[in-house]
Amino acid sequence: MKASEIVDRIRVNLENTGVAWRANTFRDIYKFGGPDTEVTGIATTMFLSMDVVERAAAQGLNMIIPHETTFWNDRDDTAQVDFDPLYEEKVELLRRHNIVIFRMHDHMHDQRPDFTFVAMAREIGLDPSLETAPNSHLFIVPETTLGELAAKVQRGIGARAIRVVGDPEARVSRIRIGVGYATPNLNAADTDVIISGEQQETDGGFDSAAFALDAAASGLPRAWIMLGHSISEEGGMNDFAEWMKGFITEVPIRLIRTGEPFWAPR
Amino acid sequence: MRQISRREFGALVATGVATTVMTGRFAFGEKAMAAPLPGGAGSAALPAAEILDRLRRNVGVPWAEQTIDTLKAGAETASINGIATTSLASIEVLRQAAAAGTNLIITSGTTFYGRSDSRTPAAGRGGGPGRAGGAGAPAPDPAAPPPPPPPTAPVYEAKNQLIDSNGLVIFRLSDHWRARTPDGFGVGLAQRLFGEGVTPDSGAPDLYDIPARSLDILASDVKARLGGRGGIRVIGDPSTRIRRVAVLAGTKAVADLLAVSPHVDAIIAGEIREWESSEYMRDLAFSGRPKGLILLGRVLSEDPGMELASRWLAGLVPEIPVRHISAGDPYWRPEA
Repeated sequence: MKASEIVDRIRVNLENTGVAWRANTFRDIYKFGGPDTEVTGIATTMFLSMDVVERAAAQGLNMIIPHETTFWNDRDDTAQVDFDPLYEEKVELLRRHNIVIFRMHDHMHDQRPDFTFVAMAREIGLDPSLETAPNSHLFIVPETTLGELAAKVQRGIGARAIRVVGDPEARVSRIRIGVGYATPNLNAADTDVIISGEQQETDGGFDSAAFALDAAASGLPRAWIMLGHSISEEGGMNDFAEWMKGFITEVPIRLIRTGEPFWAPR
Repeated sequence: MRQISRREFGALVATGVATTVMTGRFAFGEKAMAAPLPGGAGSAALPAAEILDRLRRNVGVPWAEQTIDTLKAGAETASINGIATTSLASIEVLRQAAAAGTNLIITSGTTFYGRSDSRTPAAGRGGGPGRAGGAGAPAPDPAAPPPPPPPTAPVYEAKNQLIDSNGLVIFRLSDHWRARTPDGFGVGLAQRLFGEGVTPDSGAPDLYDIPARSLDILASDVKARLGGRGGIRVIGDPSTRIRRVAVLAGTKAVADLLAVSPHVDAIIAGEIREWESSEYMRDLAFSGRPKGLILLGRVLSEDPGMELASRWLAGLVPEIPVRHISAGDPYWRPEA
């Protein structure tokens, strides 16, 4: 089947569940290849890394649906990068495997529930029955220490390089989750800990490491667990793949994990 | 006190000393009553205005009209007993400064969590002006419960109380220290990591040749030199041989990494956007190029540059003690 038919079915099924199609987004569009590309299988992923392209091609999947960027900037503006030899290599890799890329970002965050939140909560071991209300992203868990919570989160998501700000001994129970680069504010009176992807260290207002540091220094049980952008949303692409299986049965669909880019020095 | 070996810093210090001699009489005349700093033998207080005037005139680049390098708390008329530099004016750093009898804090980072450095929280939920609106912004959820009531601001209250009760004056030094050639933050970081004798490439001031070592050994060395805890993260094959590095302190765009990556084996940077630079470096390493990226975090990356600033200021303001207070690595990491 053609890529255009797959995109069309995604659009129809989004609209059927109340999500309007965004005709003007610069994100959820073709990033390589085009609507006429004959699709042999679909890979969802977080970032369109060259590693993911190789693994998808090896599994016979030539349509890739990433949540995030292909050419290292949010608009995938190739003029910002096309002077770099790596750009030509990436394009050649995509051409060689007849890859078609359609990004799926804004529409996913319009969906309810937003798969990225659901999957992240699952992967870090948060019991969904403890969410205060549907899509509140606030979980009240039995009181624990920040140190114990961070260790559990790290084990759950299998990360190598998560970062934590706050007193490891702080008693915490009210956890608010965020994904990607859009993180909740830590000054909310109903929140002890934010678990999120990525945010600015000192310039982010209430969603910054600097604010968390000062909150902890003020004796408030406030803390931040930062997973990194990639692993904070990647589980959502698994759930998006599963969702597509409900209306695309002609070709195989599976998640190929981009994975955590970082490791931690000794 | 260690010597500053770089010629331009020596020249600046000399200029600063000359300035001090020239203006010293005003300084001493006005605030002779101030108590000397405990342990700061024979020191005499100076008005903040006098110190900041010397700083602005000697920083090595013309002082910009539009700049974030302004007073964030306190007044220029305040009498200063001692100066502390830091890369983040956190509550912990301010407490240490106050305990040491130091009341002018010169910080490269924010004091109130955003470029505006407003001493009261922004209206609404206060996301802050620094938010770049990048990848990942979920739309508001019409079905979600109403947002929590307007925030109390216990953190702001604690910080303002600490500042006011100790008469602290806080000044940001960021744009101008970075605008120097070479970048004061980069020079400070390179000297801390590789020794004061390290010399940048003559044509490219951010690039340094270093004794060869593997990426994992280099990352561990960097962590030890900076007193890192859990904030340092690395991309690339740990066995990659590193001989030439780019040192990019502070917050950097992907364009900065693209510009240096062809010329080095590793980039040592402060803070980047993960959806840009991390992914570029991941692809670069995957493509078979022996390259690595060591991310320090913004606060840790600017700490050595501000330590260097403290040594520069010590020459510029010899009347009172100048010290550096490290904000440390904000992050820790659970045991694996």
